[in-house]
Amino acid sequence: MTERRASDVTSRWIGGLRPAELLEWPGGIVRLGVVLCVVVALAFGLVYFVRAVDRLGDDATRHSEANFDDREFGGGNSLVVDKRALYEARALIPEDETYRVIPGPGVEGATELTEPYIDQFARYFLMPRRPALDARWILCYGCDRAELGDGFQAVWDGGGGIVLGTLER
Amino acid sequence: MTVRALLGLAALNALLLGVGLAVLAALRGFASFRDALRLSGLAYVLGVALVGIALTLELVVGIPFSLAGVVLTCAALVAAGVILRNPLAGWRPQLQPERPGGLTLVGAAFGVLLVVYLEALFRAGRLAALSAWDAWAFWVPKAKAIYFFGGLDEQFFTELPNPTYPPLVPALEASAFHFMGSPDVVTLHVQFWFFACGFVAAVAGLLAPRVSALVLWPCVLLALVSPRVVGRSLDPQADFLLDYFFALAAVLTVLWLLERRPWQLVSASLLLGAALLTKREGLLFAACLVVAALVASRRDWRRTWPRIGVAALCAVALTVPWRLWFSSRDLAGELPEAGFLGLFDHLDRPWPAFRSVLGVVVDYDLWLVLPPLVALGVVLAFVAGARVLPTYGLVLYGLMILGFSWVLWSFVEIELPFVQDEGVNPVVRLTGSLAVLSAGLLPLLLDAAWHGRDGRWQEEAE
Repeated sequence: MTERRASDVTSRWIGGLRPAELLEWPGGIVRLGVVLCVVVALAFGLVYFVRAVDRLGDDATRHSEANFDDREFGGGNSLVVDKRALYEARALIPEDETYRVIPGPGVEGATELTEPYIDQFARYFLMPRRPALDARWILCYGCDRAELGDGFQAVWDGGGGIVLGTLER
Repeated sequence: MTVRALLGLAALNALLLGVGLAVLAALRGFASFRDALRLSGLAYVLGVALVGIALTLELVVGIPFSLAGVVLTCAALVAAGVILRNPLAGWRPQLQPERPGGLTLVGAAFGVLLVVYLEALFRAGRLAALSAWDAWAFWVPKAKAIYFFGGLDEQFFTELPNPTYPPLVPALEASAFHFMGSPDVVTLHVQFWFFACGFVAAVAGLLAPRVSALVLWPCVLLALVSPRVVGRSLDPQADFLLDYFFALAAVLTVLWLLERRPWQLVSASLLLGAALLTKREGLLFAACLVVAALVASRRDWRRTWPRIGVAALCAVALTVPWRLWFSSRDLAGELPEAGFLGLFDHLDRPWPAFRSVLGVVVDYDLWLVLPPLVALGVVLAFVAGARVLPTYGLVLYGLMILGFSWVLWSFVEIELPFVQDEGVNPVVRLTGSLAVLSAGLLPLLLDAAWHGRDGRWQEEAE
């Protein structure tokens, strides 16, 4: 009776196959392969589960520690030099007005991303205000102010080459 | 970043679930409450797909986009599901009441792991800043444009980068803004957490009665904890949603090849249509999927090929209005610069392109050991005597790798070998589809290998 029970247990050892049968080609070998795949997936899954939860926890801490501005600027943190300029633009330019960002090399503390991408970031940040080439509102981001002519009146000047103003025609 | 925003998102996603449940009830029906609960993940993703498709079509024809419009669209889709319930009665399978049985120990253990993982993912996304370049450069600006201007604003939708990308994701994001009460780009990450939860629930619900929990859950867990999925799945852009649509379409297609339930092919077609309207890569993914389905079902081609053809045509037909919209505005960028024949002026590129793709596919730091396990799963299933599943898997994965190589070959402005940082590397994004697909296909392959034939569950699944 005991032997039969033991045999039953053995026969159910893995998918109804006895250990010896697991080495038979092809059924046993294939099932061994499946077991191997599952064990590998499980092992890596569990190890990386712990790492994933750790990493996500660190991310959550980092995100919650960020201040409101950093969180709102997100990717813009790598290219926006003075956040006040865009906040001022958002506060001063009416939502139904247009604006134009004129980037240039004259921004103190600019990164290599500032000049090529500041207009794209401003478009994202200042929406629903529309960018337009003939806009009255100008955000000079390191541009040459002399090129704007006498009609340009600064409304806000944050220093460092960033000026928000209007262009009177 | 407020409770109101979170509650708004919860309401939107409850609506999406309601739409999916109504439509799935018409297409398939539910044997019991438990059956409906099991398939609620699939219903949710179907709801996302259907609402996304409907909103895209409304935007293209110029119907003003608003909160009321989104709610009415959902209501109309629910009504369509209810109305179609009787006419589609003949299509629906005769569902047997599910055998009684509680949660297994294995299922419960993995359920706990899943809850812990998804909770951690939620906390990480809850206050995340919008950092990904694609997200702030065009995906979210397009969503903001829809939100602020109530439609496909000509200026923004022609001037923003990648103007030919379809507006399904921006439309869903704009819906989220309306439900949150403001264009809250931080809480928007939580919407993508809902998508991730829906996908996991969909895979688990679809495969639970077909594959042993011991095989299913380790594969799903491995896909979820792969570093790229952990790091990027909540970015408010189209990549992972496209992967979810595609992976579920692929799983439903192969289930249809094995079980021939009409609802599976119809659902796959809807999801494929949504994938095509999510990102231009959807077209490449869909082409690979259709060819794989045709090859895997070649022995019964008289019955299967016409149906697969009709399903594929329906999916493509859903994209025609959007294509007409951007074509009428002379927007370019849908196809590679080299064109189709221009490829052959760059015969020095295919091999480096293939090597670059292969390097990303087997990159341990991105996908862990998923790709080798899938390859092993295909081999084991073939050796064991299964044919449909491993053929489908082999052709699908093989074509997609070749397709990604074609992308690198044909976009001649990309320097080869391609070693760009994973954050901005388009091949990494493309290969994400393979990893997400593996969450559903690997368990099926291993099950086929174990039992020595395709779909041994056919008689008992439903």
